[in-house]
Amino acid sequence: MLHEFEYARPATRAELHELLARHGKAAKILAGGTDLLVNIRCGVSKPAIVIDIKKVRDLPVIAWNPKVGLVIGPGATINEVLAHPAVHDHFPLLSECGHDLASYQVRNRATVIGNVVNASPCSDMAPALLCLGAIAIVSSKRGEREVPFSEFFTGVKKTVLLDDEILERIVVPTASAGARGSYHKLKRINGHDLGIVGVALMKKEGVVALGISSAAPTPVLVEGIRETDAVEKAVAAARSATSPISDLRCSKEYREFMIEVFIRRLWAEVK
Amino acid sequence: MRITLKVNGGTYTREVEGHRTLLRFLREDLGFTGTKEGCGAGECGACTVIMDGKTVNSCMVLALEADGANVETIEGEASAGKLSVIQEAFDRHHAVQCGYCTGGMIMSVRDLLHRNPKPSVEEIKEGIEGNFCRCTGYQQIIEAVLDASGQLGEGPGQVREGRLEHA
Repeated sequence: MLHEFEYARPATRAELHELLARHGKAAKILAGGTDLLVNIRCGVSKPAIVIDIKKVRDLPVIAWNPKVGLVIGPGATINEVLAHPAVHDHFPLLSECGHDLASYQVRNRATVIGNVVNASPCSDMAPALLCLGAIAIVSSKRGEREVPFSEFFTGVKKTVLLDDEILERIVVPTASAGARGSYHKLKRINGHDLGIVGVALMKKEGVVALGISSAAPTPVLVEGIRETDAVEKAVAAARSATSPISDLRCSKEYREFMIEVFIRRLWAEVK
Repeated sequence: MRITLKVNGGTYTREVEGHRTLLRFLREDLGFTGTKEGCGAGECGACTVIMDGKTVNSCMVLALEADGANVETIEGEASAGKLSVIQEAFDRHHAVQCGYCTGGMIMSVRDLLHRNPKPSVEEIKEGIEGNFCRCTGYQQIIEAVLDASGQLGEGPGQVREGRLEHA
């Protein structure tokens, strides 16, 4: 059973901002609900009010504009992003990461923005967004601000978002269009599962970036590597940027080992 | 709040509380108990229903979110006392043992075949990855889906003799 909460369904962005300003910490935003409703059910989250944003008319969905980039709104589900032609044509790394997130029916509801604001270290979308240099556009009644994803996560399940703010859209810049990349995720079974460790690797114009999940309190971006470098440089950079722990799913040593294995595989695979 | 939605073609209007899930609403308020609760966390898929043409885990949808939606459950699969093609294939291939996962499993299979009428074995596995079955080991379910999609030429006896290896 879910504990009782008030349910609100604002119709406009202004109403949404007003509700967030009024209720602050007591409010939780509902988009796909695949994390929120599970957290409410097991008592981790006890909001007094749940704000369903799916009927807000003036929020972006998903759009490709070569002058700006790929804009992903708060209602855009993983499957909608996977099905978008611009994602297929220009941002294969987003597809790779999205495809590895949970199961088909979860991807029908789960949103890209929900996956990142949840700020789990094992987020599957964060590695791609970090590599692609994506920007978070955060809004509230007070206005808008831009935060690069490299500065968005502040700890386990913690982000820069303040109580009255919403991550309103993600912009994946046009400069990253055409970047090659892939994602390897270690999990217990071939079907859907939480990642034990995940590595995304992106190559574009001689530059290499790594996005690593489940290897530190937040998803990690590793930069400063070039295609002309030896793979050992990427492995060493990843080792110093991450701090994996041992938990019930895997030991620290196995995580370190698999990060290296994945980097070496991706280095050869991503041409 | 008052909601109105369609379930298997019928229209229902009810008062629901904000925290009621679509799963509980279907089972307890409307009596569609073919949709089951397994994990309650989006892992097992026993609660899978089709909402506005998309499969969802009904344990993670609020009844209020289904206001105005068109919902399909396992109860809508057979018509006029006759099993659907998918149900018949499940029966023929012994893809049902305890039956707890079957309602959700068939919803995922129906959706898969709607999107992809001739799925490969790999595509079937992906299509049902969100539906756990702890009895069959999945082999019989995969055979049933191949059969329901017209990809097994001969009778069911042939299937059990190892055709799947090269399917």
